[in-house]
Amino acid sequence: MRKTTKKTMRRLLVGLTAGLALAAVGEQTASAQEILLTGPLAGAPAVRKLRLYREGRIEVAPAISFTLLDEYQRTMLFGARINYNFTDWLALGVWGGFGGLKLNTGLTDRVQEVNQSRRDIEAQRPAGSGPSVSRRLTATNMGPKFEEQIGTIDWIAAPQITAVPFRGKLALFQNIYLDTDLYFFAGPAFIGVSERKECDPDAGKPCQSDDQAAYAREGRVAIAPTFGLGFTFYVNKWNAIGFEWRGVPFARNTGGFDNHGGGPDSKFPDQKVNADDRDFKFNQMLTLSYNFYFPQQYRVSE
Amino acid sequence: MKKRPIGLLVAAALCMCPAGAFAQKKGDAEAAAPADGEEAPADEGEGGEGAEGEGGELPEGEIPEGEVPGGDIGGEGLGDICEIDPAACPKLDFDKEAAKDLNEQIYAVQQLYALRVRRVELQPYWATSLNDQFVNHPGPGLALNYYITNVLAVGANFNYYRPFNADSSFNAQVRRAARVGVPLTEYDWGAALNFTYVPAYGKFAGFGDFIFHYDAYVVGGVGAISTRPIPVIDPDNRTFDFEPKLAFNAGIGFRVFFTRWFAAILEVRDYIFSDRLENDDTSVLEAPNDPLNKDNWYGDNSLTNAVQAQLGVAIFLPFSFEYRLPK
Repeated sequence: MRKTTKKTMRRLLVGLTAGLALAAVGEQTASAQEILLTGPLAGAPAVRKLRLYREGRIEVAPAISFTLLDEYQRTMLFGARINYNFTDWLALGVWGGFGGLKLNTGLTDRVQEVNQSRRDIEAQRPAGSGPSVSRRLTATNMGPKFEEQIGTIDWIAAPQITAVPFRGKLALFQNIYLDTDLYFFAGPAFIGVSERKECDPDAGKPCQSDDQAAYAREGRVAIAPTFGLGFTFYVNKWNAIGFEWRGVPFARNTGGFDNHGGGPDSKFPDQKVNADDRDFKFNQMLTLSYNFYFPQQYRVSE
Repeated sequence: MKKRPIGLLVAAALCMCPAGAFAQKKGDAEAAAPADGEEAPADEGEGGEGAEGEGGELPEGEIPEGEVPGGDIGGEGLGDICEIDPAACPKLDFDKEAAKDLNEQIYAVQQLYALRVRRVELQPYWATSLNDQFVNHPGPGLALNYYITNVLAVGANFNYYRPFNADSSFNAQVRRAARVGVPLTEYDWGAALNFTYVPAYGKFAGFGDFIFHYDAYVVGGVGAISTRPIPVIDPDNRTFDFEPKLAFNAGIGFRVFFTRWFAAILEVRDYIFSDRLENDDTSVLEAPNDPLNKDNWYGDNSLTNAVQAQLGVAIFLPFSFEYRLPK
C-alpha cells in the first residue's frame, strides 16, 4: 500500500513537473515560428546550403564601361575587374579601363560647326579689317578644331574594396532561376585625363593663335574617390554577368575654355587657361562585365 | 476517489500550457515531431544513416548513460524529470537533431511573398533627369496601377515639372565662351497610360540575417508631355507657351517589398517625344522688322529622349490578400 502511494506521488510529481516545464517553454512559444526556433531549427543559419560563389575565389571580369551625362564626349572604357574574395561578403581588388572609344556629343559637333562657319566668314573678310567680334571674343577659348581641345578620360585604375551584404535569387518568367548578389565598392581612383594645356600670355604662353598648337591637350593624372554598387547574376558555377554603376567625382576642364580666374570670386574669365578653369563634375558610368571565378568549383555552406 | 486529486493536478498542469503552442498547423506539427515520443524514422535526415554505428559507437541521436540530454534547451527542468523518472527522460539529443537535414516538402513554386493580382498599386515618387546635362527636370509624380493578373497591370502616371526645371550654369558658360546658344527646353507636366509587366521576382538575404523580397518590371505606354523652349537665342523678344506633345514611354523598374503592401521602387523611364526647339536664327535678315512674329520663333523639331529616374514607394491596396492555396 505504501509502495503504491509512493509510486502515485512520484507520478504526480512527474506530471506536475512536466506540465510546468511545458508551461515554461510555452511562455516563449506563442507563435509557430518561435516553436521552430526552439526546435530542430534552433541555431540554424538563415540560409542553409548556400552556394559560396565568392569565398576563396579570384574573380576576373572583363568589362566595358559607358560614361553618362557627358557634355562634349562620351567614352567607352574597355578593361577588367580583378578581385580576390576573402569571404563571401568581402573582396579586395582593382578595376581599370582604357578609354578605347570616344564619341563626340551633339554639342561638340554644333560648336565646331559654328566655329568653322565663323572662320570661313573670317577668311572672306577684306584684308586689314581685323577679326570679327565673335572671333575676337572666342579667340582664347576655341582653336581651329574644337574637338581636339576638349577634355577626355583616357584611362582609370582603381584599387577598391567590395562588400557583398545582399545575396539572393531571381526568377525570370517563373522559368529561369539565377543566383544573384548586390554589392557595394569604394576606393581611390587614378584617372588619366587629357585637358587643354595651361596657357598664360603674361608668362609667354599665348592662349590665342591661328595654330591649333595653342589649344593642344596635355595629360595629367587626377586622383579621386570612386564608389558604386552592382548586381551579379550567376550563370553557372564559375561564370556570371555583372552590371554596376560607378561614380568618380573630380574637377576637370571639359571644354578647354577659360571660364574662371578673374573678377569677384574668380567667377569670370581671366584670359588664361589653368587649374582655376576646372569645374567639379560628378562623373558617372555604367559597367557591363562577364565574370569568371577561379577555382571553378564553389564551396557550399552547411 | 484517491486518484481524483492526481488527475485534477495533472489537468491543472496541462491547462497551464499556453494556447500558442497549438498555433502550428497540424500537418507541420506532425512533420516536425513524431507523436507520442516515437523515434524519428531512420530514413529521415542524416541521423538515420548513422543509426547502425561503427566499432561500438553509439548510434546518432542516442545519449550515453549518465548524461542528461537536452540540458541546453530544457535546463534543469528536464534534468529533474530524468532524475525523478528515468523512463520519462527524453531520448533525443537536440544538438544532433538540429544538425539533421530537414525533410520538408518543397513546392515547385513556393508562395509569392506579395500577390499583386486584383490589387491597386499607388506609387508616389520623385523623378530626376538622367540624360539632360543642360536642363534638369526633377519633379514629383504619381502612378496608379491595377493588376489584372499577378504579372500584368494597366495604369496611369502623372509627372509635374514646372517649378522645378533647373537650367545648368554650364549653358551660360558655353554661351559666354563659345558664343553658341544651345536650344533649351523646360517641361510643365507629363501624363501617360501604361502597361506594366512583371517578369522577374526574387529575394535577397541581407547580411545573412534577414530576407527581403523584390521584383523587377517593365513598363510602357503612351501619353502627352507639355514642354516649351527656354528662350536663349532672342530672349528679349521671344516668350513661349507650354504645348502638349504626344509622348511614348518605356522603362524598367525595381521594387523592394518591406511588407506585403508597402515597397520601395526605383524606375528608369524614357519619355520619347518630338520636341519643338527654339529657332537659332533670329531672322534679322529674313524679317528684320518682325522679331515678334511667332512663326519665326520655332526651329526644327527634334526627337527627344527624356530619360528619368523615379524613386518612390509603392502602396498596394487592399493591404491584405488571401492565397488561393494554403501553400
